[in-house]
Amino acid sequence: MKKDLSIDFLGVHCENPFFLSSSPVCNNAEQISKAFDAGWAGIFYKTVGIEGMNECSPRFDIISNEPSSWTGFKNMEQISELPLEKNVIEIKKLKESYPTKVIGVSIMGSNEEEWRTLAKAVTEAGADIIELNFSCPQMTSHDMGADVGQSPELVEKYTRAVVESTHLPVVAKMTPNITKMSVPAIAAAKGGAKSVSAINTIKSLTNLDLDNLTGKPVVNGKSSVSGYSGNAAKPIALRFITELAQCEELKDLELSGMGGIETWQDAIEFILLGCRNLQVTTSVMQYGYRIVDDLISGLSHYMDERGVDRLEELVGIAVDNIVPSEDLDRSFMIIPTVDMDKCLGCGRCYISCYDGSHQAIEWDSQNRKPIILEDKCVGCHLCLNVCPVSNCITPEKVVYKDGKDHTDKEVVQQLVYQ
Amino acid sequence: MVVNPTVEYEPEQVEAFDFRMAMEEASRCLLCEDAPCKYGCPSGTAPDQFIRSIRFKNVNGAAEIIRENNILGASCALICPHEKLCEAACSRCGIDSPIQIGKLQQFATEYERKMDKTYLSQTDTYSGKSVACIGAGPASLACAAELSKQGVDVTIFDEHSQPGGMLRYEIPPYRLPETVVDHDISQLEKLGVKFELNHKVTSEELEQMKEKYDGVFVGVGTWEAKTLNIPGSNLDGIFPAIDFLSKARENKESYSSLGNVVIIGGGDVAMDSAATCKLLGADSIYDVFVESLEHAPATQKEKMYDFQMGIPLISEFMPVAFIGDEKVERVRFEHVTNGSTMELEADTVILAVGQTTRDEAEAWKQAAGIFTGGDMVNGGDTVVQAVAEGKEAAAKMMNTFNE
Ligand SMILES: Cc1cc2nc3c(=O)[nH]c(=O)nc-3n(C[C@H](O)[C@H](O)[C@H](O)COP(=O)(O)O)c2cc1C
Ligand code: SF4
Ligand code: SF4
Ligand code: SF4
Repeated sequence: MKKDLSIDFLGVHCENPFFLSSSPVCNNAEQISKAFDAGWAGIFYKTVGIEGMNECSPRFDIISNEPSSWTGFKNMEQISELPLEKNVIEIKKLKESYPTKVIGVSIMGSNEEEWRTLAKAVTEAGADIIELNFSCPQMTSHDMGADVGQSPELVEKYTRAVVESTHLPVVAKMTPNITKMSVPAIAAAKGGAKSVSAINTIKSLTNLDLDNLTGKPVVNGKSSVSGYSGNAAKPIALRFITELAQCEELKDLELSGMGGIETWQDAIEFILLGCRNLQVTTSVMQYGYRIVDDLISGLSHYMDERGVDRLEELVGIAVDNIVPSEDLDRSFMIIPTVDMDKCLGCGRCYISCYDGSHQAIEWDSQNRKPIILEDKCVGCHLCLNVCPVSNCITPEKVVYKDGKDHTDKEVVQQLVYQ
Repeated sequence: MVVNPTVEYEPEQVEAFDFRMAMEEASRCLLCEDAPCKYGCPSGTAPDQFIRSIRFKNVNGAAEIIRENNILGASCALICPHEKLCEAACSRCGIDSPIQIGKLQQFATEYERKMDKTYLSQTDTYSGKSVACIGAGPASLACAAELSKQGVDVTIFDEHSQPGGMLRYEIPPYRLPETVVDHDISQLEKLGVKFELNHKVTSEELEQMKEKYDGVFVGVGTWEAKTLNIPGSNLDGIFPAIDFLSKARENKESYSSLGNVVIIGGGDVAMDSAATCKLLGADSIYDVFVESLEHAPATQKEKMYDFQMGIPLISEFMPVAFIGDEKVERVRFEHVTNGSTMELEADTVILAVGQTTRDEAEAWKQAAGIFTGGDMVNGGDTVVQAVAEGKEAAAKMMNTFNE
């Protein structure tokens, strides 16, 4: 199905919201051409600095629970390995061959002068948007990357330096290695940024090497704390996006979201929380540019099923439904029920409820069946989340804690548990 | 595969994966570069693409890919000999076992059916061309679908009262439920293909059609049963398998008294006939064929199915005579190499020793100015092969139209 998924981002027309985020998935013109041909609407070119970087080897580690795919990814890579002059040539080539695709270029300097130089160079090279990398957590210089992103003063100063050096719209890319992302985001807005993007990678140690007694990957016997990304990081990304979307001072900024997007469902989540633009790296590193096929197709079908004509209509419509925990309705419990025809008698629900919740499931060991004790059940739904059979334990009865019937009241419930 | 002893003759559906099972299976897929599975599929159903869509939770997209590439995608999911086709080519065979591609295809098409989804619709750019397709079996249906997507006005003619050909009249419903056949055929209706049923086309009419239409496709299958030229072959109680299977479907009650059944043949049609007799409650069933068990042409799955139903499969015996007055009573066999003989009691004999095209249509194979495909051309292959040939013929026709 081909639906019109176009949307404007910072006044630039994008054929769809799907961009590659700045990383080795967009290192050079030849590689990026394949991505454009596959259907990506635009890119944020691998962060350009004045000099090329000297990288370590190996540089990745994974968190996975299946043999053939991973959910979390750690990298120890810095910004582009190429110097500015070479990247400028690549960007020019791209713009010439793909005039309708959107070329965002990520840049990073270590002082005001460098930020200005970079901004001018990529503007001349033909970029459509400039993204400021205030967020790489593994730079070898503390004047660059996430250390800068944690300082609102530096963020504002460098953003202003760039805005003064270009006519292009400017996006500030935020680090999640901070308690409140809105603080540097507001600083970026003051400096003249028209958008913020989030999240860059999360500082992490994924695994330890038990022989070498260091982290993974092992670089000649040592390792470092460095950036974590991929689907496992999505919950953290969504939390920060919500904070930005709900921040009054940032109302005029457009949001670009990323962190673990792999399926069309992930993509829509970011859109519902206010993103007009979506970026992807880790799942492309794992599965290739072709994942855009199902991002486009899945989003089109979702819109079609719901009668949504313009992607615009979906942007931010879930933001107001994320409320502080003190505002949740705590007047009721939803007691689940077990479909005995589906139940296998594995007992996982019993074990989890006993050891991890309220001892509200009785185990009929003779018949290998769980019995939910309504007077003890608190409606936490732990059982429902451990049951291995689809739709075997389902939410059933709404019970009010005050013991009364509230027939006039409707409790909105989750429809899909998968 | 464990056969459920209470298996129904006409199930509403054959057990399918639920979402979780499908996700689990799809996540075994290695998502190969230039995936070999796609080359294992004769009809270009693009298994690599639809599995990837499922893997990325896009079930609509998966069903859509199947529909666009194989108009009989739901039927093929159930009856393709996957283990010889797409699954045989799967890279994962090098680790453990192939991805269950047929089961995933079934999952996606069942989703389409249960959610009442429509991915195909009538095109609004008409080519101004019209085509007649003779026969409403797999090859013709595939050809018609392909043409109508490209704006050709297509009419399908068939002598039966319902479309589907062997899907409906030969393959038994416990393997391919009627609902699934109907679901596939409803796609053609969505594309705007017209059906002229209960209409047997003669050679004379075919000639007129060549004038009246811009193109004619003939895919009339193999509906003439081969017989055995041995003593007693005209006794009562001896039936060709195709007649038996289609009548079993139409009025299964009249088969409550099959008695002792002997089936002759080692292909899928023989296996289907044997299993059908079992489901209809025959007293005893023996399936006898000349090949070795290994070389009998039926798929492994079909042989296992019959075997697990407890049907004796007797290999390497050749029928030499039917014995009885008027009605068949016994069948005599001889071993193909060692000269042993065997006689089996029989109230009913079902001959599944091959099929050919009917006489009249035999001549059409060579006729000028028409396109052909499916079993009548390939001598009797799979449904998915017939789909491939129907699609190919449609592409050739489009080329002649565009010349
Ligand atoms: C190997 C690797 C290199 C990266 N390099 C950069 C970079 O040069 N500049 C940048 O802004 N972000 C960089 N990132 C961060 C990504 O652009 C993105 O913000 C992050 O990975 C979260 O998205 P994801 O989960 O889709 O990967 C890099 C990420 C990875 C995995
Ligand atoms: S976890 Fe599910 S399947 Fe297992 S005993 Fe509980 S209800 Fe039954
Ligand atoms: S149509 Fe048949 S051979 Fe082709 S992919 Fe589907 S199941 Fe396999
Ligand atoms: S060959 Fe097998 S593993 Fe590879 S893409 Fe096809 S189904 Fe998946």
